[in-house]
Amino acid sequence: MSEFVEECRREWRRLGVPDPIANEMAADLTADIEEAEAEGGSAEDVLGNSVFDPRRFAASWAGARGVTAPVLALPDRPPLRRTVPVIALTAVAVFFALAAIALLIGRRSASAAVSVRAMLGNPGPSRLFGPGGVSPVFRTFRIGPQFGGPTGWPFALLAVLIPFAALVALGLAALYWSRWSPWSRRGSQGTARGPGRTWWSRGSSR
Amino acid sequence: MADAEGRRSQLLRGVLDICLLAVMGEGPAYGYEMTKRLRARGLSIVGEGSIYPLLGRLERDGLVETRRAASNGGPPRKYYSLSPEGERVLEEGKTEWQATRDAVDGALGLVKAEVMP
Repeated sequence: MSEFVEECRREWRRLGVPDPIANEMAADLTADIEEAEAEGGSAEDVLGNSVFDPRRFAASWAGARGVTAPVLALPDRPPLRRTVPVIALTAVAVFFALAAIALLIGRRSASAAVSVRAMLGNPGPSRLFGPGGVSPVFRTFRIGPQFGGPTGWPFALLAVLIPFAALVALGLAALYWSRWSPWSRRGSQGTARGPGRTWWSRGSSR
Repeated sequence: MADAEGRRSQLLRGVLDICLLAVMGEGPAYGYEMTKRLRARGLSIVGEGSIYPLLGRLERDGLVETRRAASNGGPPRKYYSLSPEGERVLEEGKTEWQATRDAVDGALGLVKAEVMP
C-alpha cells in the first residue's frame, strides 16, 4: 500500500472514521492508483493536486461522506477571540489583587510603627483606649497624617477601589471559566465535524 | 497564465458534480473509470483536486447508488450509478448550465443578442 494511502488511513483513524469504512475507502484508492500506474500513469492522474496533501484529501473525503466522529471525541479549544480577553481579564485581576495585598501590608507596617511610637511616646491606657485613642485593630485601616506614608483622600479612594477592582476582575474571570458562563459554548453535543449528516445518525446501511 | 488556470478551476468546480452525474449516466463506473471518462471528453482533473470527495457528497445526498463488484481481473471496486434523484438533478443541471452559458456568451459578445423592436 502506498505511503499516500497509509497517510490517509492515519488521518481517518485520527478523525474517528469507523474501520470498515476506512478499509473500503483505502481499498478503492489503492485499486485506482494501481490501475493508473499499470497504465503508465501515476497517482496524480487519479488524485489531481490532492496527491500533495494526503491528510487534507482524507479529511475532505471523509467529511463529504459524513463518516467522521462527533466533536465530543476531540474537544475543541476555545477560540482565540475568547481566550485573549479572559487572559487579559485574569491578568488584570491578579494585578489588582497583588496591589491590594501590597497596600494592606504597607498600611499594616506603617500602622504598627506608628502604634509603637505612640505607645512609647505616651504610654498608658488613656492613649490607647481613652478619648482620641484608636484601637490598633481600627488603626490599621485608619487614614491620616499621623500614620505616615501616603495620605489624603486619593489614597483612601485607592485603598477602597483597588481591592474592589481585584474582586470584580477575579469574579469575572472565575465566571468566564465556569460552566455557567454566558460566554461558554452551549449544546456542543451531537454536532458533526463534517458537513451534513453523520454516519451514526443516519441508521441506514453504509 | 495562473489566472486563466484559476478561473478554469473555479468554473469547473461549479459544474463538476453535473459532469460526474453525466458520465455515470453512460453506465456504472468506479472512481478512476470516471476520471478517464472525463479526460476522454477533455476534462482533466489535474489541478482540480480529486473526484472522491465529490463522489462522497453525491452518495450522501442520495444522487448516486453504489454497489461493490469485481472489476476486470482486478480487486472488487465500488461502482457508482445514477439514482432516480440523481437523474432528475442531472437534467436540472443541464438546463441551468445551458441558461448560464447562453447568458455568459451574450455578455461576452460571443453571440448576437436579438433585440425586439
